[in-house]
Amino acid sequence: MTHTLHRKGIEKDLNRDYVILAMISAGVNDHYDDVRQKMVKIGEIFNEHNPINIMSELGWRTSATITAAYNDIEIVNKIIQILKEEDLGISIVISGLISEIENVLKEVDLDIHTVHFSLGTFGHRKNEILPSEKLLEITTMCGHHTVSPQSITHYVNLIKRGKTTIEKAASKLTRPCVCGIVNTSRIIEILATLVKE
Amino acid sequence: MDIEIDTCNGCGQCAIVCPVQAIQMIDNKAVIDEESCVECSVCYRDANCPVKAIKIRRLKWPRAIRVPFSNVRVTHKLTGIGGRGTEEMKTNDVTNRFDFGEVGISIEVGRPGIGTRLENIELFTTKLSKIGVSYEEKSPITELLVDDEGHINEEIKDQRVLSAIIELKVPEKKLSQILEVIKQVEQEIDTVFSVGIVSRIKDNNTKEIINRISELGFEVRPNAKINIGLGRP
Repeated sequence: MTHTLHRKGIEKDLNRDYVILAMISAGVNDHYDDVRQKMVKIGEIFNEHNPINIMSELGWRTSATITAAYNDIEIVNKIIQILKEEDLGISIVISGLISEIENVLKEVDLDIHTVHFSLGTFGHRKNEILPSEKLLEITTMCGHHTVSPQSITHYVNLIKRGKTTIEKAASKLTRPCVCGIVNTSRIIEILATLVKE
Repeated sequence: MDIEIDTCNGCGQCAIVCPVQAIQMIDNKAVIDEESCVECSVCYRDANCPVKAIKIRRLKWPRAIRVPFSNVRVTHKLTGIGGRGTEEMKTNDVTNRFDFGEVGISIEVGRPGIGTRLENIELFTTKLSKIGVSYEEKSPITELLVDDEGHINEEIKDQRVLSAIIELKVPEKKLSQILEVIKQVEQEIDTVFSVGIVSRIKDNNTKEIINRISELGFEVRPNAKINIGLGRP
C-alpha cells in the first residue's frame, strides 16, 4: 500500500511531517500468542511521545498495522531507539525525508533495510484535473484519500468569514482519516497560508 | 451509496466531503452522480447527515467491485487488510518479497484523489506483460487479470474506483523498460497516477538507486518510506 508514500510538499515543510508504521505479516509473524500484546505495546510507545495524530486504541488491538504522525524528527529518533531496545520483532517503517531518517538510523545504529521511493504524479492532464498544490498537501496526507479538496476550500471560506478558527477547521479535516496519519499541525500551517490568499 | 431524496434537507454536508465530487446540490437536494461515485462511503461516515438520509445499499456485481478499491474500511479477501494495497515493502524484513538485484514497482492509478475507470489498468498491464514482470499474487488488481497478455475482466472495465494499485517486481536491469512504459502511458491516460520504486538497500547506500533512476530521466522525491529492519519472521 502506498499510503504514506506520496505526501506532497517541499522539503522544509516535509521536515515537520513523519509517520511511523508498525505492521505484522499475514501468515508469517501474525500467529504468535504474544503478537497482539506487542502491537499494543508499540501503540503505547507511539502514544507516549506526543503524536500529532495516531490510530485509535481499538486499532492497536485489532489491526495488522499501527500508525502515528509526528512533526519532530527528534521524537522519531527517541521512538526508534526505544523500539530497537524493545526488540519486539515487528516491522517498522518510517515515512518522511530520506536525509533526516538516514541521520536518525545512523545515530541509533540501525541499517536501512528497504526503501519505497516516490517518483511523484504523472498523467498528461494532471495540471488540468488536479487541485492546487496547497490543497494536495492536505489531501495527500490521508493515504486513502478521504479528505476532499472542496472541504478544505469550504473551511477556508468559513475561517475568512469568522465562522470558525484555523484550529477547529484542521481538527474537522483530520477526522475522516481512520489511520491517524493526517498531520494536524501541518494542516494548521497550510490553512494559515490559504486564508491569507 | 443512496441519498433518500425526500429525507434530504439540503444542508450540503455530503457534497462537501465527497472525495471525488460525485454529489451535487440540485434544487436544494443532494444528488449522487452514479457514474462518478466510487462507493467509498466517506459521505456516510463523515458528512454527519442531520437527517440520516445517506444509506449504504447492497451492491451487485460488477458495481460491487468499486467498494474494495475505494472504501478504506473494507478488508479485501485476498490481502486481509483494509485499503487497496498489500503488505508490499512494509514487511520486507520479514517476507523478503524484494531481494537485492530486484526492484518493486507500484503504479497507483487514480492517485492523488482523482479516481480511475478500471480499464485504465490495461494501459499499463498490456505493455508490462510484454516485458515480462512478476505481479504481486495477493494484489486485488492481479486477481482481475484474465490472461498472460495483461487484459482485465471485461465485466468491470467501466467501473470507477478511487484508486487501483498495480504491484509488481522485476530484475533491476529491467527498470529502464518499466519507466519507458510509464512515459508512454502518461501520454495516453485520461487520469493521473503515482509511481513508486521499491529497492532493497545495501550498506545504507540509497544514492546508487536514486542516481540510476535519475539517469533514466525521473526525479526521486525527497520523502520516502523506509523499512528499518526490526521485523522477524
